[in-house]
Amino acid sequence: MTATFELNTSVSNLRHLAASDLAPYDAVYLGNIYCRAYEGNLLERPVELQDAIRFVRDRGKRPYLTTYAAPRTDGLAALRRALEVAAAEGVEAVEVHSLGLLKLVHDAFPGLAIHVGSFGNVYTDAGVEVLKAFGVRRITPSHELTLDETDEIARDTGLSAELLVHGKMPLGVSEFCFLLDYEAKWDARCPDLCQQDVFLRREDWGLKSVGKGILSGRDVCMLEHLPRLVSRGHRHFRIEAASESPAYRQGVAAVYREALTRALAGEYAIEPAWWRTLRAHARLGFCNGFYFGKSGMQYLSA
Amino acid sequence: MAILLAPAGSPEALNATLEAGADAVYVGLKGWSRGGARGELDWDELAGAVRLAATRGAEIQVALNTIPKPRERAALLAEIPRVARMGVRTLIVNDIGILDTLRRRFPELALTASIGCGAQTAADVAFLAEIGAAAVVLPGTLDSDEAAACVAVGGVTIEIMLHMVEEFVLLGKCSMPSYVHLRPTAMPGGLPEATRQTGSMKRGGVGACFRICQQPWVLEDGAGRRETQMFPSRQLARLPEVAGYVAAGVGVLKLQGRSLPPERLGPLVGRYRRALDAAQAGEPAPEQPSLGLPPSWTVVGR
Repeated sequence: MTATFELNTSVSNLRHLAASDLAPYDAVYLGNIYCRAYEGNLLERPVELQDAIRFVRDRGKRPYLTTYAAPRTDGLAALRRALEVAAAEGVEAVEVHSLGLLKLVHDAFPGLAIHVGSFGNVYTDAGVEVLKAFGVRRITPSHELTLDETDEIARDTGLSAELLVHGKMPLGVSEFCFLLDYEAKWDARCPDLCQQDVFLRREDWGLKSVGKGILSGRDVCMLEHLPRLVSRGHRHFRIEAASESPAYRQGVAAVYREALTRALAGEYAIEPAWWRTLRAHARLGFCNGFYFGKSGMQYLSA
Repeated sequence: MAILLAPAGSPEALNATLEAGADAVYVGLKGWSRGGARGELDWDELAGAVRLAATRGAEIQVALNTIPKPRERAALLAEIPRVARMGVRTLIVNDIGILDTLRRRFPELALTASIGCGAQTAADVAFLAEIGAAAVVLPGTLDSDEAAACVAVGGVTIEIMLHMVEEFVLLGKCSMPSYVHLRPTAMPGGLPEATRQTGSMKRGGVGACFRICQQPWVLEDGAGRRETQMFPSRQLARLPEVAGYVAAGVGVLKLQGRSLPPERLGPLVGRYRRALDAAQAGEPAPEQPSLGLPPSWTVVGR
């Protein structure tokens, strides 16, 4: 029997969804977690969200809904509407990053499976046990945890962990957007401003800004380490692409689809073409995040 | 009646805080406090603090707001009876797993969900209350209407951090420093093999976050435009709004600043004491000159 896995990604709006080839994916998180004003954010547009869910499902993929990383009270009504659409359309899971939304989904939408996202501050097995009592089915442990710590949590709690295998790692969320200061100077208005590939550079390191969100400048790349991930029992993998182009979403996923298939078959060998594809999309290079106990921007070769 | 909860990072600071009229004072216990060694008390100092506060009719609360790994957690739990025997009745924690564990093991203690738990909505407060928090700390970025909505949850004391540094990235949602530097460091207090993750704002370092967000960046976009940029942050002082928060039913007015020296802490606490007394007497807010704090207080000096 062939071992199976899930490769998923994130898409913020209908425009990018329609332009994306979802063939390499099994599931898609819909919505942008950082900003209510993000272009076409599906969390703010119930009709487009309905269309997006159907678009994903019509292509044989699992639609998931994500939610804001740090919601405020004035955003809860829109989120509730998005959840109502998601429930009516039968999305297969909702990703929450805040404890309040976890409770809201658990109490008001008991039919929805819940995933806890990377801003949910999952750091310990004890914390996961609390989350399980609220119906959580899957966790993305804090990106600050090592692979060993994630393994322990998954083993000790019996809950599936979703791992970021490629893409820019979410590092922070803000309540305000400093890019707005540049609207006049750069002659670009919100919501186009944060889609202009904006990086913050200092010495040999850099971060990517998406306005209210800060991401790693380097792309987390676990291509060399996939056999280690699957040997430890992990089966849910994410390519973070909420602020990336459809070309990125497709190209990177095609590599990982094939690589994960090989890794699970025990026939792992990296093709040179894979590296060429990944490098073409990584403006500041690669890192491993925190998986190996180092600072997040380092890259360790297998 | 609302109370004034002030910080102290040393016995001298505690004296100044009590002299200035704090109803309660929170301190860190060496090794277990997110603020790091510069703002922590050792066991003897903690015992002295509890005795001194008792003579003034004030309460000492202990911040245990790191996120220990499972092995370290056992050591922490072993220390709790000693803390309780000293007369401490309130612990401040930063992780839902720790909160849940302490609630089960030490039901006689009151547990506060710290600002690092990330509560911003009534839904967040309801979650934390449900898992056993006696109090929840909200950031001073929430206005009195938002605070009132949280108070309406009921069954839990709402604390508001009226005087704090508002950084660009939200507390509890930031791993920028560890992306650049992450350095496991021996834990102060002598616990063998235990480490603090220097660089991790959430797990708890030794008082350093490397000021990543206080360094100038070069902001560049895909079109080649370059600007020097710093993340915006500001000192938030809600002194004029004290009466509004009191009217909203907030139970605790909390001030940030465990690393402030006594000569700065005393006047700060005194200002809020006078404002709170006036609000609770139904009198106009007293005229008070502005009190600046040094730029170095931001980021590392909470």
